[in-house]
Amino acid sequence: MKTEHHIDEFIQRAKETVPNPYLSTRVMAKIEGLEKVERRKSPLWQALALAISIAAAAFLGVSIGNSYVEDGTPERILNINDRQIESLGYYNFDENE
Amino acid sequence: MSDEQLIKEIISGNHAAFKNLMEKYQLQVFRTVMGFVHIKEDAEEVTQDVFVRVYQSISSFHHDAEFSTWLYRITVNTSLNFLRGNRKNRLLQSLEAIFTYRSEEKTPLEELEHAERDRRIRMAIDSLPEKQRMAFILSRYEELPQKKIAAVMKRSEGAVEQLLQRAKENLQKKLGIP
Repeated sequence: MKTEHHIDEFIQRAKETVPNPYLSTRVMAKIEGLEKVERRKSPLWQALALAISIAAAAFLGVSIGNSYVEDGTPERILNINDRQIESLGYYNFDENE
Repeated sequence: MSDEQLIKEIISGNHAAFKNLMEKYQLQVFRTVMGFVHIKEDAEEVTQDVFVRVYQSISSFHHDAEFSTWLYRITVNTSLNFLRGNRKNRLLQSLEAIFTYRSEEKTPLEELEHAERDRRIRMAIDSLPEKQRMAFILSRYEELPQKKIAAVMKRSEGAVEQLLQRAKENLQKKLGIP
């Protein structure tokens, strides 16, 4: 009987406990904070569009790179004997001797 | 303003309406949570989580049951989830409660006895099977009629009566009442 009374007393004390008067203000602040985070998050379609455009740009770059074909003709090397143009004899002192 | 009107206002984005709803129900939520967690600071934290969940899911409330019944369900589930995630902390807190219990009218020995008795009662309530504990807390802390408890727990009134009876017997056994 005494223990039952103690249980009642224990429950009564818990029932008399009151929450912080600013609890509702705290909850509202938390909800507003969560809403701000939600608003800052970009929607799914935006994230998808960004991912698709990056993939498309990479694919385009690779295909343009692959489409480049080298010219078949070998490089020409200019091999001109310009001895007649330049008066090299002057330097060799051939003509001044 | 009725609950239904408040809910319509909340869904249309009126924050003040949610604050009104919260102020209307915060004491009953807090009391129920206290039955589960027993510590004021924890009860405040859980109450806060309950209302955040209510705000996030209020558009899914279809008036199949009364708003208060729906709110009690969220409260009970949030409290049980909190307890599942805080088992270790709770043991430390119950020990701490023994050493920090203070009363001006009692001698230190009486204070210690009182704290120990509270701890035993708390442990006995906490060790009840989940459904029995839910029924017990809603009945004793919130003084809800069996019909309402049955609606919250989605059980028949007879089943709730049995749960309450078993909870009482279990508590008597655990606390050594003949």
